[in-house]
Amino acid sequence: MKTLTTPRPPTVRAVPPARPRRGRRPARATAVWILVGPYALFLAVFGLAPAGYALWTSFVHDGSFSGARNWTAVLDDYRLGDAATHVTTYLLLWLPILLLTVLSLAFTLHARPGRTSRALQLVYYLPGAVTGSAAALLWLFMISPDSSPFSPLLKLMDIESATDALSGGSLIALLTVMGVAVHAGGWIVVLYGALNALPKDVLEAAQVDGASAWRTMWHVKLPMVRTYVAFVLISSFASGSQVFVEPTVLTTAAPGQISPTWSVNQLAYVYATQDGDFGKAAALSLAMLAIGLLAAWIVITRTRMYATNSTDSR
Amino acid sequence: MKRWHAAFLAAAMALVLSGCGGTGGGVSSSGGGKGELLVWVDNTRMAAAQQYKKAHPDLKMRIVTIPPDAGYVPTKISLANRTKSGWPDVVFLTNPAEVATLSSEKFGYAAPLDDLVPASVRDGFAPGALDTCTFDGKTYCLRNDIAPTVLWYDATLMTKYGYQVPKTWAEYQQTGLKAAKEHPGVIVGAVNGKYGAGTYFGSSGCPTRDTLSLTKVHIDLTQPNCTRVADLLQPLAEKKAITTVGPIDPAFSKFGKGHKILMLPGPAWFGDFMFAPAFKVPEGRIAAAPMPTWPGESKPYAGQVGGGAFLVSAHAGDRTKDATDLVRWMTTDVGLQARQPTYPAFTAAANKWGEAKSKDPYYASDPMPALTAAAGALRAGFGAVRYEADWQTSFNDTLGKAVDSGGNLRTALDGWQDKLEAAARTSGYTVG
Repeated sequence: MKTLTTPRPPTVRAVPPARPRRGRRPARATAVWILVGPYALFLAVFGLAPAGYALWTSFVHDGSFSGARNWTAVLDDYRLGDAATHVTTYLLLWLPILLLTVLSLAFTLHARPGRTSRALQLVYYLPGAVTGSAAALLWLFMISPDSSPFSPLLKLMDIESATDALSGGSLIALLTVMGVAVHAGGWIVVLYGALNALPKDVLEAAQVDGASAWRTMWHVKLPMVRTYVAFVLISSFASGSQVFVEPTVLTTAAPGQISPTWSVNQLAYVYATQDGDFGKAAALSLAMLAIGLLAAWIVITRTRMYATNSTDSR
Repeated sequence: MKRWHAAFLAAAMALVLSGCGGTGGGVSSSGGGKGELLVWVDNTRMAAAQQYKKAHPDLKMRIVTIPPDAGYVPTKISLANRTKSGWPDVVFLTNPAEVATLSSEKFGYAAPLDDLVPASVRDGFAPGALDTCTFDGKTYCLRNDIAPTVLWYDATLMTKYGYQVPKTWAEYQQTGLKAAKEHPGVIVGAVNGKYGAGTYFGSSGCPTRDTLSLTKVHIDLTQPNCTRVADLLQPLAEKKAITTVGPIDPAFSKFGKGHKILMLPGPAWFGDFMFAPAFKVPEGRIAAAPMPTWPGESKPYAGQVGGGAFLVSAHAGDRTKDATDLVRWMTTDVGLQARQPTYPAFTAAANKWGEAKSKDPYYASDPMPALTAAAGALRAGFGAVRYEADWQTSFNDTLGKAVDSGGNLRTALDGWQDKLEAAARTSGYTVG
């Protein structure tokens, strides 16, 4: 993944003048601004301004403008290739497994509503209550064969020490399992909520027409919750491509076993904190932002996420 | 029309989400403006700093506890450099290699101490102890404690098996192979990260981190000082007499509990902090011998794994003298250092420290002769480098992997050389 596209700041393309819409009253417009205002302010102060500052920083070296120097230095760094490979492998493993787990469990819960379903929701959600560094510490305990309740399973996988568990391919497998356990629960609850909000008449119509549970799921429910699935994908892609906390905590527990620049975000962090080079850190962070934006853009356009009933998206 | 809405929302979403991946931070304190001496120490050094404060009621002093995590101090100093405020006047390093980062031109944090601490005081440290602090002839830190390696061994097992404590590495290898054959499962060493690289390669004088200046490092693993280590470990790895499990890995305790540690060359602090609390080796078994001697040499040399150091800030201004006095007291006060948990870097303090250690009933025999000799024989050429973390991971990636998989260790040295060079160059060194 050395071919990072040169990211641009989120520019606004030439906007055709807004056509006045019939039936829109000024009071409504005010309400919209009141509702959107705080978020817009938040976005400007904590999103756009830092991103703009990062963009400026990424073109500065030792206090003076340096052109693309930081960007080329980042792309030339031998650690970037390794980090990008790690993160890509992690995403390729984690995203499909996460999505499949979330979808199958949410649909199963929805197909069989009742007390058990509600109890299971909580059970699925529980691992997600322990996140980030706490989760990494908990998992460190779970992967140490001497303390783990799963030690027979670990022995089966030829893991005899935490050193084994954290080296090479087993690290990615571990992060994948961790990632699914931590993230799936929350998304199951979200998706289950979305399924519950589906119009009953449509589902009943499907039932009356003799659609099987499988067909109802595939042809009726899934298309209707696709925007939620898209949201799961975008959020998970963003958090997955920026995986940082888990490998970092595992590193402090077993120094020397995991490279401190294992993931791309960790590399950006090392630039800023250990190399004292904020320019390179900013450049790499913006490149990651660009990739996140691109992925979000693809998912949004492909799923017509913001299409509403009143207007068509294209 | 809707399309750019979508683009904007996507941008907004990605921005908000990208914020989630960041880490919290910020300079926790700023002693700069108020004329207050700001001191950062880890938990272990806290009591001593407080004692100093109590003894100097006129001195305005604020003590902040910092975690011992690798990279913590450079992270905070980097942020302070960015905001140009909040630098501590004195800082303790649990990872002395970080002095290479903090005294670099980019960080410009560590003050040279040559004019502040008299040479007579600096000469009181164990010979070579301040090499870690020294670049281009300037001393940027004072060592609090050092971690010379010795040959720890289980005296009970040695007697039981009828083996002699090896005096040379050839004898060490023979003993290891014999033990592996006669008592499978017994280990004679650990090769993981700094424990492998610092103990074996450090003691042999293999130039993996021989700092010539702040920007120049000598790395040459083709030297006989390096290949002889590979040759030493090769058969031991094949016969599983050495392990790649890290000593701080909880799984290592199974060797100790099962009385499988025949020998373990390792740092001085293994005696008090690993054998009993972590490896669960009972009292009266463990003893220390000097490291074995390398071929062609008349005396043994010690590698290093750890230790700590104190730095004075280049931004301390008129607090520089107070800062230096504190650092000097912390590192050289015999009464204070004698009570410290790990081997003092200041020789007079180490002798005093050893009086209690000699009587420690945990050891099968007095470990001090071996420890004192090791402290006096630190192998030169083991400098503080900015690629310390990569130095460890690349060792595990190459040598560690080869030991695990039965690969050729000499070939693995080539891989390690490449990785070390790459890491050094990325950290701003020219490799010579």
